[in-house]
Amino acid sequence: MAKTNGNVSIKQLKKTYLDGKGKPVFTAVKGINLEIENGEFMVLVGPSGCGKSTTLRMVAGLEDISEGTISIGETVVNKLEPKDRGIAMVFQNYALYPHLSVFTNMAFSLQLNKVPKAEIKKRVQKAAEILGLTEMLDRKPKALSGGQRQRVAVGRSIVRDPKVFLFDEPLSNLDAKMRVQMRTEISNLHERLGTTILYVTHDQVEAMTMGDRICVMNEGEIMQVADPLTLYKKPENMFVASFIGSPPMNLIHGELQIQDAQVTFIEEGGSGHHLGRIQLKGPLAEKAKTLGNRKIVFGMRPEHLNERSQCENEAVMTAPVSLAEPMGAETLLHLEMAQHRVIGRIQNDRLFKRREEVTLYLNLDKCSLFDPKTEQVL
Amino acid sequence: MNLETKLKTRKFFAHLFLILFILMIMTPFLTVIASSFSRGHFAPSKLFPTEISLNHWKYVLGIPHEEVVNITTGETRIIKADVVPILWFWNSIKISVIASFGILLLSGTCAYAFARMKFAFKEQTMTGLLILQMFPMVLALVAFYTILEFIGQFAPSMGLNTHAGLTLIYLGGVSIYIWMIKGYFETISTSIEESARIDGASPFQAFIMILLPMSAPIFAVVFILSFISYMSEYPVASVVLQTGEKWTLAVGANSFLYEQQKLWGRFSALAVLSGIPITVLFIICQRFLVSGLTAGGVKE
Repeated sequence: MAKTNGNVSIKQLKKTYLDGKGKPVFTAVKGINLEIENGEFMVLVGPSGCGKSTTLRMVAGLEDISEGTISIGETVVNKLEPKDRGIAMVFQNYALYPHLSVFTNMAFSLQLNKVPKAEIKKRVQKAAEILGLTEMLDRKPKALSGGQRQRVAVGRSIVRDPKVFLFDEPLSNLDAKMRVQMRTEISNLHERLGTTILYVTHDQVEAMTMGDRICVMNEGEIMQVADPLTLYKKPENMFVASFIGSPPMNLIHGELQIQDAQVTFIEEGGSGHHLGRIQLKGPLAEKAKTLGNRKIVFGMRPEHLNERSQCENEAVMTAPVSLAEPMGAETLLHLEMAQHRVIGRIQNDRLFKRREEVTLYLNLDKCSLFDPKTEQVL
Repeated sequence: MNLETKLKTRKFFAHLFLILFILMIMTPFLTVIASSFSRGHFAPSKLFPTEISLNHWKYVLGIPHEEVVNITTGETRIIKADVVPILWFWNSIKISVIASFGILLLSGTCAYAFARMKFAFKEQTMTGLLILQMFPMVLALVAFYTILEFIGQFAPSMGLNTHAGLTLIYLGGVSIYIWMIKGYFETISTSIEESARIDGASPFQAFIMILLPMSAPIFAVVFILSFISYMSEYPVASVVLQTGEKWTLAVGANSFLYEQQKLWGRFSALAVLSGIPITVLFIICQRFLVSGLTAGGVKE
């Protein structure tokens, strides 16, 4: 079942929109390179306007390519019609044919390709079985729920047996519960079919849970391509650090001070202020020593703040609580530092009061340092 | 006054107003029907004719009948029209149906181009169409006459005094329908056509197999509107069509109203007749005029 040439290779891809007179107005994609392996589930994620959908639409052939090449398998597809690229696409708004039955919706592409009727029936029924749509083949899309409609849209692409599936924010129109369910279904489908998937979303949770690898985009450029855990643990820049994770990584601007063996991070406006000082230890301190006295952005994940000491290389922070959000299993604590507000994810079974002073232990081994100018990790 | 009586009075006056309004609309219509069944050629005045006569209808349908020609002597004569008015009725239907289908074809394809394609001077062309259709067709009467006369030199079957010629001019009235259909097309998500394109449909196939069936309501509306307007169009038809057997209903009906003698009875019969195809068309088209044809295709 698994195909062999479903790899997608994007080279120096650029998309510039022109106005009526042919003058460039806006560059949506600024020369990106991306290799997607055969059978891989690749997620393109980023805020709206980052060029992820434009990239997907260029792969689909719905948008002209300004510069660069896209290859699927070994073929450069720049000039090929969408139908000849071996792709199938699922749209955000389903894009079903409202006047046709579910069966005809799914069979449409095969009918256009003059596939024999018996074969069409076989393939549609198989897809319907996979997606649990067998009972609904005679219905019109109008008579289906949102989740069922999206399943028909997925079925329509399965039937075509493509080399690459393209998903354009397929779950953003569903309600929260349905979204979680469809997420699992699409993951299972990928497991079962083994076909390459290129999946666009703005939801970082979707990206993290579904993707084999994730490509984070911002303003038409790729910020980082990595598997979900690497992306979370070792963000290459401040954008990825603040985009992935909920709540995101705390980024604190300040500077390093090295005195003898002591390495201290001092928050901007926090000199002499006990709240704005973090004493560095272990590998992080060693790394800081190589950097010298300089301006820096200190990054810490909310869950690396604990109420109890848990490891050797820890910094002790004492700060007042400005807001406590009990989530049940954990509590989100908003802490006031000198100028920044830091969010901690605390595993604790008690209620915190506002203005209460808490002492927390920060796991320094998990923290990152960024250059404030280039925003890259150091 | 308590709330209940207040509400009752308000309801009473509202109903009174509506009933009067309905009467106002219905009376002329009923008078015309009454007049078509009355004896003699008086201006329609009575809601219930004193004497019922089918003479006007017989004349219009081309059935020979006896009619009093001299009221003082009571002399009667068998009367049959030279050109049977029912022929005008067929002419009208023929021209209106063909022209309306032509309008559907032209405005549908034009609207698709305006709604979905990118080309130079698109905005200007759209505005141009809008401004052009603000001038009534009558303004160009002389031009139409000259153009048809010119065409007639090379293709007599499309020149002056031909139905083909008149249809050709009628097809010029597409601009407003282009705007209407374009507006409807724009409510349909482009992703449906993109999806069809990925499924392997050519733009033409996507238009015919996907967009058209979804647009049935607007096409029904356009067909009805253009049919009605051509059924009752008078100025252009009266100039283009010169001989009695070519006339349309409106031109023919007008021929009953001379300066010296206004044959209101026949006119009324013909007027009632012209209402029949429009009614039938409405009944046929009603099943297309359902909302929600595009429902379920995309999530808004």
